[in-house]
Formats: sequence, structure tokens, C-alpha cells
Amino acid sequence: MRNQALLFINGKEHRVAGAEAFDTLSNYLRYTLGQTGTKIVCEEGDCGACTVLVGRPDSSGKELTYRAVNSCIQIVGQLDGTSVVTVEGLAPPRELNAVQQAMVSCHGAQCGYCTPGFVVAMSALFETRDRLSEQEVRDGLTGNLCRCTGYEPIIKAALAVDGSRMMRARDLYPSAPMLETIGAHCRDSLTIEHGERTLSAPVTMEQAIGIRSERAPVIILQGGTDLGVQANKRGLRPPLLMSLNGIKGLDEVRIDAEMLSVGGTATLAALETAIRLHAGSVFSPAHGHLAELANILGIFGSPQIRNAGTLAGNIANGSPIADTLPFLFVMEARLELTGRSGTRVVPINAFYRGYKQLDLEPDEIITRILVPLPPSGSEETLGLYKVSRRKDLDISSFTAAIRLQTTARTITAASVALGGVGPVVLRMPSVEALLKGQTITQDLFERAGQLARREINPISDVRGSRDFRLQLAENIFRKFYYERLEPRREMREA
Amino acid sequence: MPSVGRNIPHDSARGHVTGQSKYVDDLPFARNELIVDFYWSRVAHGRIRSVDTSAAAAIPGVAALFTYKDLPGQNLFGPIIQDELLLAEREVLFIGHPIVVIAADSREAIRLARNAIVVDIEELEPIFTIDAAKKAQWHLGESRTIRRGEVAAAFQEAEEILEGQWRCGGQDHFYLESQAAVAYPGEHDALIVHSSTQNPSEVQEVIAHVLGLPINKVTVVTKRMGGAFGGKECQATHPAAIAALVALKTGRPARIVYNKDDDMQITGGRHPFQNDYRVAFTRDGLITAAAIDFFSDGGAYADLSTSVMGRAMTHADNAYFIPNMEITGTVCRTNFPPNTAFRGFGGPQGVATIENIIEEIALRLGRDPLEIRMKNCYGVDDRNVTPYGQPVTNNTLPRLFTECAERSEYYARRAEVARFNRESKTHLKGIALTAVKFGISFNTKFLNQANALVNVYLDGSVQVSTGATEMGQGVNTKIGQLVADELGVDASTVLVMITSTEKNNNTSATAASSAADLNGGAAVDAARRIRTRMTEVAAGHLAAASEGELTASTADIVFAEGQVYDRRSAGRKLKFRELVKICHLQRVSLGERGFFATRGLEWDPVAYVGTPFRYFTKGCAASEVLIDRFTGMMRVLRSDILMDIGRSINPGIDRGQITGGFIQGMGWLTNEELRYAESGMLLTHSPTTYKIPNIQDVPEVFNVDWIDNATNVVNVAASKAVGEPPLLLAISVWCAIKNALSFVSDGKLDAPATGEEILMRLANQKPETRN
Ligand SMILES: Cc1cc2nc3c(=O)[nH]c(=O)nc-3n(C[C@H](O)[C@H](O)[C@H](O)COP(=O)(O)OP(=O)(O)OC[C@H]3O[C@@H](n4cnc5c(N)ncnc54)[C@H](O)[C@@H]3O)c2cc1C
Ligand code: FES
Ligand code: FES
Repeated sequence: MRNQALLFINGKEHRVAGAEAFDTLSNYLRYTLGQTGTKIVCEEGDCGACTVLVGRPDSSGKELTYRAVNSCIQIVGQLDGTSVVTVEGLAPPRELNAVQQAMVSCHGAQCGYCTPGFVVAMSALFETRDRLSEQEVRDGLTGNLCRCTGYEPIIKAALAVDGSRMMRARDLYPSAPMLETIGAHCRDSLTIEHGERTLSAPVTMEQAIGIRSERAPVIILQGGTDLGVQANKRGLRPPLLMSLNGIKGLDEVRIDAEMLSVGGTATLAALETAIRLHAGSVFSPAHGHLAELANILGIFGSPQIRNAGTLAGNIANGSPIADTLPFLFVMEARLELTGRSGTRVVPINAFYRGYKQLDLEPDEIITRILVPLPPSGSEETLGLYKVSRRKDLDISSFTAAIRLQTTARTITAASVALGGVGPVVLRMPSVEALLKGQTITQDLFERAGQLARREINPISDVRGSRDFRLQLAENIFRKFYYERLEPRREMREA
Repeated sequence: MPSVGRNIPHDSARGHVTGQSKYVDDLPFARNELIVDFYWSRVAHGRIRSVDTSAAAAIPGVAALFTYKDLPGQNLFGPIIQDELLLAEREVLFIGHPIVVIAADSREAIRLARNAIVVDIEELEPIFTIDAAKKAQWHLGESRTIRRGEVAAAFQEAEEILEGQWRCGGQDHFYLESQAAVAYPGEHDALIVHSSTQNPSEVQEVIAHVLGLPINKVTVVTKRMGGAFGGKECQATHPAAIAALVALKTGRPARIVYNKDDDMQITGGRHPFQNDYRVAFTRDGLITAAAIDFFSDGGAYADLSTSVMGRAMTHADNAYFIPNMEITGTVCRTNFPPNTAFRGFGGPQGVATIENIIEEIALRLGRDPLEIRMKNCYGVDDRNVTPYGQPVTNNTLPRLFTECAERSEYYARRAEVARFNRESKTHLKGIALTAVKFGISFNTKFLNQANALVNVYLDGSVQVSTGATEMGQGVNTKIGQLVADELGVDASTVLVMITSTEKNNNTSATAASSAADLNGGAAVDAARRIRTRMTEVAAGHLAAASEGELTASTADIVFAEGQVYDRRSAGRKLKFRELVKICHLQRVSLGERGFFATRGLEWDPVAYVGTPFRYFTKGCAASEVLIDRFTGMMRVLRSDILMDIGRSINPGIDRGQITGGFIQGMGWLTNEELRYAESGMLLTHSPTTYKIPNIQDVPEVFNVDWIDNATNVVNVAASKAVGEPPLLLAISVWCAIKNALSFVSDGKLDAPATGEEILMRLANQKPETRN
């Protein structure tokens, strides 16, 4: 058993124990190490000023793959076995990498406070690519806010970068020696104690379940994109934390003809990548549904959030506006829960018992999420919707999933789930019943919308008024009809 | 090659991209340093019954706790009207009002102390709306009026009259670096304070004032700000003064850094406005009269509100000649944090009001709003005097309208928008082309002055110090370029130094877009005086060296490319640095202080007539939006900006001001909404809920350009200020949304036009019925 987390920062080995392991990485960098290039603005993952690269071993285990994450919502102990690169480490002293160079010459920095975050996030994009399209630039930098430039100069800078001349983190910091040290050190499970608090990182499922059942309540800390915010903003200091990152294989994402299967520690980014790489038939409904999910993942948080946040975390956090839930509801996803007494499988539609009340025992861990995919040849339409004040990097005001199975233009089965309109994501049985067996017409979906509106009882909050949400619930059926079902294909621009 | 006009990178760019640039909280912690914060009121309006700090004092690590009673000087201060208490005494007037200053060894101790302080407040009725303030007659300063022509008569004779009310919300500055200061105690009660401020001299004066020190004991230093936008013009003084209090009282360095949530909750922002208007016009759309009553929400203290109102009033005409006009302005007092300067300084609220009126006129008459705009545009030779009496000279507005319409293919796209809206069942489009005419200079005459210090060193390198503060806008880079050209040296040999009240005294805020105009003017003045002396020496030296070939003639001496020569004998060149040495040996001074005061300004601050501005920066923008009819979500498809910014000192920097200002303005008018709880507590106090524009919100097609215009000889290097004006061009986006809505509704729209606002308008619901 170890009591020190091991991480590399700009190639230098750090062993961290005690209080510092529970400090955020951004604080540790700035106030313990005095590396003040990394900036802190919001402390909740929403501005990107604190962005750093985190390198983890890739699937071969031979290389470190670097991804951008928000250092303000990660604690140091969570980064055991990683290589962190900050803005100070992107190039040797007195040199600039290609991204930094382009940011200088394209006036990508004004006040400079957002700049370290942008430079790191942009460098992450060039870890694997030589050139970016404008859309890739925008998608890749969604997690960084700038108040000065209006972004246009930053987009220009990214388009000007020639990645083939890029000094990359994986070249600047050779993986092999670091992996060797990490391999030797992180073979054992980790337990860091400080005062009342303990952080453990088991390396097997058995250990994990052991820890979770012996010393309940143990809080699983995965991406930390929910827990980190609660720690910073609401002073949440759970005494017992456990990270599952040391458990090999738990992060696997598999897609085959029947099933999408997502491991308990798989990040949203890994899920997105798996879908994009999946070579199913473009004409199959499964393909269409996965593409629809990928679109929703594309506007889930930011790249930084998706690089850290997990699907299991989104489910376990239990928010009624979690973006993946409507999809999982209408797809009749099942959760594999593993605990002291073995494994059980629970349909997601039965998992939530009330606001943040889950059918999850204190010793249980979500080890797998199973999503049955429709067989090829079946006739299906799926629409997933997220309405938020700002399209990108925003929490939903309202979410919806509408799934129809049809023959010719008759609806044989309908599933509808709405989020942001109640304490949990809601299936709408009455609306489903209304739709089932009917022929698709505009009028049918008008009536479905009106019924949905009557069935829900949303509240007004900072993300939208009750009336706004009622109107959205009604409108979303119209939207689905006009954009997905109308025979004469509507001119669509979105 | 001259530096001015060249696209030189920002002088801090390398530091920014490598993380080496230092901001206040990046300063290393000094031994013994204290962390400072304060207990602020959670009640918007109340009477303080008691303050008990005894439990807090007992917490380990807590070094000191101070209330207003501990201030050695005056608690009452304020930039225009002295009505503000730094630390609350008997009454709290807004949520965020500081009551107890806490100094401790650690953040944890601060947190515990904050929770242990007990303040008993008797709650009083708060005022949260302009209507409530109007009813209670709770105002800040006096109402003012601009009046020209025969307004009543014009309304009597009018062919058409429209009246209505238009409202816009506030805006948080959302500078990324929150308010911050570190105060270091010196000898004999002296203090050195590093402050993230746009106005070091004001911070210095306020610190001296509240601590009862002579001003010369306080030095305020500003390296740079991580964004400011007006938010650090007045409101940077509070944290700096609080840190200074702790440093003076404890003799220990003291650091205060607001966290983002606190910063957003306790500092003020852009003023919300609620304006009543009446406008008279002909059936052809020619405006004959307008009466506009501006009401702003000033918050609890005056801050700069009266001045902001003045700018709103002087921008209510915008690009349009309105022969008969009456504009009144009243600042309402409410129990919110004092609202303050924010890029545009009232101008955006004034301009948006008249642009909304123009859209309404066009709707009434069934005409293209652009036709109405161009018909009413200020003339070049006549119809070119503003309602407050300033002539609009060098008027490029007609040209900008025409060229912007052409470049943006406005007319064709307007027709296409109409066709699209007839056919699409899922989306709506809208398009609008709006203008800006922004007056440059502080409305307050005496502020239009600056001084600068230029030092030339023996190797020919140069240091420049001014009162300008760098917040990303590139003022230092521009000043460096100006000085380099004055001395004929390369810009890389000129360093613009940290701003400090020790070098430049009694300076004005870096604000009103005019920092480069004023401080650049002063730096050029200083450099020119040095050059004049060096010219004497050079003339003599070159004549002597020519062995009788030349007579000394200062008129023929040229400074260029780091060299100095007599144009009659250009082959014989002295290096600039050689001349510097010679001057030094001849005991000629190589340092100088320059001064600049803008000429030609006259303003009657009571009657509101005169020439408050040295010139106008102008521009036009055309924007097209796409709205999802079912969700209300909006996207900007294309914006074309065309400006008149004179001759640009640094095209890259100016372009960045335009793109940045435009997007910031777009945020104000679209998704940035301040929502409050019933108690007056701000709910949207972090980027999770307060949504400034994201990179994805940048228009898909974004064309930015300016016309060639070198006629602005009244300003330094024929340039024009560019900091604020482009923000107002984002009104084109808002008008485009209004245009889209007008296809399916009455087109009425307030700001911000959030997705919710848009959807509820689409659903034809009155906004009052919401919540
Ligand atoms: C800036 C920002 C933007 C965001 N945007 C979105 C968004 O667009 N849409 C959205 O839906 N959410 C969003 N979120 C919320 C968050 O990112 C997601 O909920 C994410 O999926 C959480 O995953 P995590 O691994 O980071 O969870 P953590 O914070 O690590 O954990 C969350 C909860 O899940 C539990 N948990 C984690 N893994 C397991 C497991 N295997 N078994 C049992 N319990 C487990 C934890 O104990 C904890 O209670 C955002 C968050 C931030 C900070
Ligand atoms: S500080 Fe804003 S994302 Fe970390
Ligand atoms: S440069 Fe100032 S926030 Fe981006």
C-alpha cells in the first residue's frame, strides 16, 4: 500500500501526500509550487483559465496520451499516475511552441488572463493533428472563455498553426521513463490520509468493493466534474473518497450490433470517440441513434469536462437535467451494479426514486452501462434535444428524447423522456400511449405536445421560468415532427 | 520604417502565452503576509443593530478585524458625489456592502471568521426597480435635460407619432481577473499598493483619504489587469483601500483577491435602463421630433452614474439628425451594488434606444429600417449639429451606411430573409444594419489631460511611463510605437514601464477609450522635447564633423531607423545611441516629462450644451440571425463591420478591439442576464449561470474592416479611439432578432433577448406573466 500519489509536472516527478493531495491541482500549482501561469477564475470548470494537459497511458500502455482538463476541479491525489503539463511546460525556456507563436502573431491575447488556458487547450488539439478546420477549432475551444478578444483572433491563430512543426507534450516529455516509474509505483493501491480525510485508489474491483463496503459511506470520485464543483462552491469535504482510475479495464467502451456497453470509469470523451470510430452501417437505426447521442455529447460541457467526466458519474449524480439521461431512458438502458453481494442489473427507468434518490446501495458501484441497440432493418426515429441559454458549455434548461418505432407511417411504439421539468427525468406514459398505434400527422404531434404540457409541473429557477419550460415541452413535439417526420422534407438550416 | 501603422504584437504577448505575465495574485507571498477579505451584508437594505466580532477574533490564524471605527481617515468618499461609505456604519444599502474587514494567515481562517462574525441587521424595505425608485423619488444627483427646437409644436404637426417604453438589463463586466490588491507597508506610514485598477491615482487618493495620510505617502502601482472594461475604474478602490488599511494597521503585507462569485455579487456593472419615448415622423419616415426620458438604475451609491447618464443622453441621437429633441436623464437609486462604468459608459443604452425607435418606425410604415436610417442620417454639409450643439464634422456616416450595405449584400439578403421566413416552418431569420457615432473624450473636461515620463539611457534604449494602465487593450504597445517614431528608433528599443503614481501624478482613469489619445499625446510631447535637444546637439556635431561642409541647421536633422543625419549630407549618419552618448557628455538632459490637454472642449455640465467631444468614432454593422422557432435558441449567421477609426496605429490591436467589443456587446443584448432572488441576491454569480459569449457564438461569417480615412488631424497620429465604439455595433444583432420576430409578432422586444425572451415573444406571451 502506498501513501503518496505520484505525478509528473512538466516532466518533473512529484510525490504528494497529506493535505496537499486534497488540494486542487490549480492551487497546488500556483500556491505550493509557485507556478502561477495557470490561472484560476471560476473554480468550477466553466471558464477554462486553469486548463492543463493530463497524460495517461493509452490502451497500449506504451505512450502517454495528453488531454486538456480543468485543474480547478481536480484534486492532486486524483492525478496519481499521470503526467501533467502546464502552460510553463509547453516549450523549453525562452522558446515558443507553434500554438504560442501563432497566438502572439495573430493577437490572440489581449489582457492575457484567459491565454494560458487557451494555449494549453489549443496545444491539446494539436497533440494528435497537424491542421484544424474552423469547426474543429470552435469545438475544441468551447471550454475556454475570453472576455477581451471576441475569439476571432484566437480562431485565426489556431487556423494558422502548422502542427507538423509543433513541439508536442508527448515529444517534449518522453513517455517511456515516466511510464516505467508510474508502472513501478502505481502497481499497489493508494491510501492517502490527512486528518479526517482519506483518499483511496484501489487497483482491483475486489479492493474497491472491499473499501466501499467496509468504510461506508465512501464517495466515489471519478472525473470530479460534479464533486469538484461541490467541494469548491459548497464546501463539500467528504471524509472518505475513492477513485476507480487504478482499476484496469473498467474504462472500456464496446459497441457491437446489439449493444453499446460503457464501463464504469469511461469518460464521455471516450464514449464520443468510440461512437465516431464505430463502423456500423450508416443506414442502420443503431447508427442513427448513436450519431444522435454523439451530437448531444458534442454539446455536453466542454472538451475539458468530457475528458474528465464519466457517463457513470452523470448517471450517479442524478440530476434531472443530466444530458445523457433522456437518451438512456428511451433506449431502456440497464445499469450493471457491483457490490458486496455480487452483480445485479437495474433498468435505468427504475433507478431514480426521487430527487437524487438512487436505487444504489452504499457498497455498490456502477460498473457498466448497457444500451441495447435496435436491430438493423427496424424502422426507428430518435430525436434528442437540449435547450440551454447558451448552446455550448451550459447546463440544460430542458432536455428531451423522443423515440418512435414505426411501420410505414404508423407508430408501433413510442418512448418519451423529458428532463428539467420535474425532480427526476420523466417518462411520459400518457403521451406514449397517445402516440402508439397512430398514423403520423402534424395534428398528432400538436396534441402530444399539449398533453405533455398538461402532464408536467416544472418549477421556475435561474435557468428558466415554469412557463418557458411548459412551452418547450409543448414545442419539442412540433420540432420533432417538422424536422424528423414531415414527409416533404422541411428546409432545415440548423 | 515607422512603427505607427504596423501590426506589431502586443508588448506582453510572449509573457501571456507562456504564463510569465504577472498579475496581482501572481506576486510571490511575502514573509508575514496576511490574506484579507471582508464580511459583507447579505441584506439589501437594513439598519445595523450590532456587530459582534469576538468569536471571530478567537479563531486561530485571525490577525485582525476592523470596522469603520478603525479607519484613521474619512469613511465617506466618491468620485463625483461623495456619498459612499467604504465600510457600512449604521445602515446597509446593498448586498455586498463591506461591514467587517478580516485579516488572517490562511483562507481557511478567513472562511471560519466570516462565519463567526455576527451582525444583527434590522431589515428595511428595499427598492429593486426603477419604477419603485421613481415612485419613492429616490434619485442620485439631479435630473438633466438636453433640449433643442420646438418639440411640442413638432408633435402637434406630426404626421405620425409612436410612443413606447424600452428596457435593457445590466451586465456584469466578467473581467477574468477579479478585483485584487496587495499592500506593502513602508517606513513612516508609507504604503506601496499593487492594484488591479484602471485608475491608480484615484486608488491613491482614496487610500490617503480613508487612512488619513497625505497623498504622497501612498504609491499605487499597476502592472496590468486581467480585463477591466470599466469595472476597475472606481470599484478597484474598495479592495485596495481595505488591503491598505490592514497593511497600515498591522505593519504586514496584505493581499485581497475577490473570488469570482463574490466579485459578481458585490460589485456593480452596466446600468439597466428603462426609457420612455415619443417620436414624431413623416409618412416618409423623416423624424421631426423625439422626446426621450432616460431612467437608469444607479444602485445604492452615485459612483459614476450621473456621468454615465450624461453619455446616454448625448448618444440618444446616434447617427441621426433630429431637429426637435428633448432628452431627460434621471438616475434612480436602488438597493443594488452601485452600478459603474462599463465599456460604452451609457452610450450603448442611448444608442440602442434610438435604434429600437427606428425599427419601430420602419415597422409602422412598412419600410426597410435601413431606408429610415439613411434618410435621417447626419448630413455632411447641413443637418449636422447634435441636439447639444456640437457639429458633426468629417462626417463619414453616409459613406459607411452605403458601403456597409454593399459589402454585406444587405438588400439581397433582406429579400432572402423574407423568402426564408415565408417558407420555413422550423426557423426564422432576421437582418439589420445599424450605426454608431461615439463621442471621444471624457464628458468631464478636466479629465482630458495626461502626463508622461520619457527616459533615454546611454545605450539608446528608452523607457516610457504614463498614467495609462494596460488591461489588454494594447495602450502600452501603441504608446511605445508613437515614442519610437518620434525618436526615429525601432519600437523594440522602447519599453513602456509599469504604471506608478510615483512617476505619473494626478492622472485620469484609463477610460473613455481615450488612454492612447491622452497618454500617447503626452508621451509624444516628452519624446519631442528630448528630440529637440538632441537635434541641437546633432546639428552642431554633424556640422563640426563635416569639416566646414555644413553649417549647423536643426531644421535639416532627421531621426530615422535608429540613426540621425543631416538631410543635406545623408551619407554621414550618427547612430541614435552615439548621439545619446554625445548628449550625455555635453550634459544635455535625456529625460523629459510631457503633458497633454485636449483642446477645443467646452461643456456646460448643467445646461448640457457645448462641445464635449474632440471627435467621433463611427461605424456600421450588418448582422443576420437564425432563430429556432420551437426553442427560441438563436445563432448569428453573419456580421459585417465597417468602421471609421481614422488611421490605425496598430491594425492588429485595433481589430482585436473591434471583434472583442462587438462580441461583448452581443453578450449584453442576448444571453447575459442578471437574475436576482427576491432578497436582491444575485443568482447568476458565476459562469455556470451567467453566460457570456462562447467561441461558438462568434458569427459564422465575421467580416471586419475599416475605411481609409486619414483626416482626423485633431488626434495623435490621425488615429481614432476604438475601445468602446464597436461594442455598440452589436445592436445590429439585437435589431436582427427584433426583425425576425416582427415576421410573426408585433416585434416588441426588450434586452437581453435571451432564448427564453425570444420564445415567450414567439408564443405571444406577455413577459409580465412569467415566473
Ligand atoms: C463546467 C461543467 C459543465 C458541465 N456540463 C454538463 C452538461 O452539459 N451536461 C450534463 O449532463 N452535465 C454537465 N456537467 C456535470 C458533470 O460533468 C457530469 O454530471 C459528469 O458526467 C459527472 O461525471 P464525473 O465522473 O466527473 O463525476 P464525479 O464528480 O466524479 O461524480 C459524480 C457523482 O457520481 C458518483 N459516481 C461516479 N462514478 C460512479 C460509479 N462508477 N458508480 C457509482 N457512483 C459513481 C460520485 O460518487 C458522485 O456522487 C458539467 C459540469 C461542469 C463542471
Ligand atoms: S478556473 Fe474556471 S475552469 Fe477552472
Ligand atoms: S485576453 Fe482577456 S480574457 Fe481573453
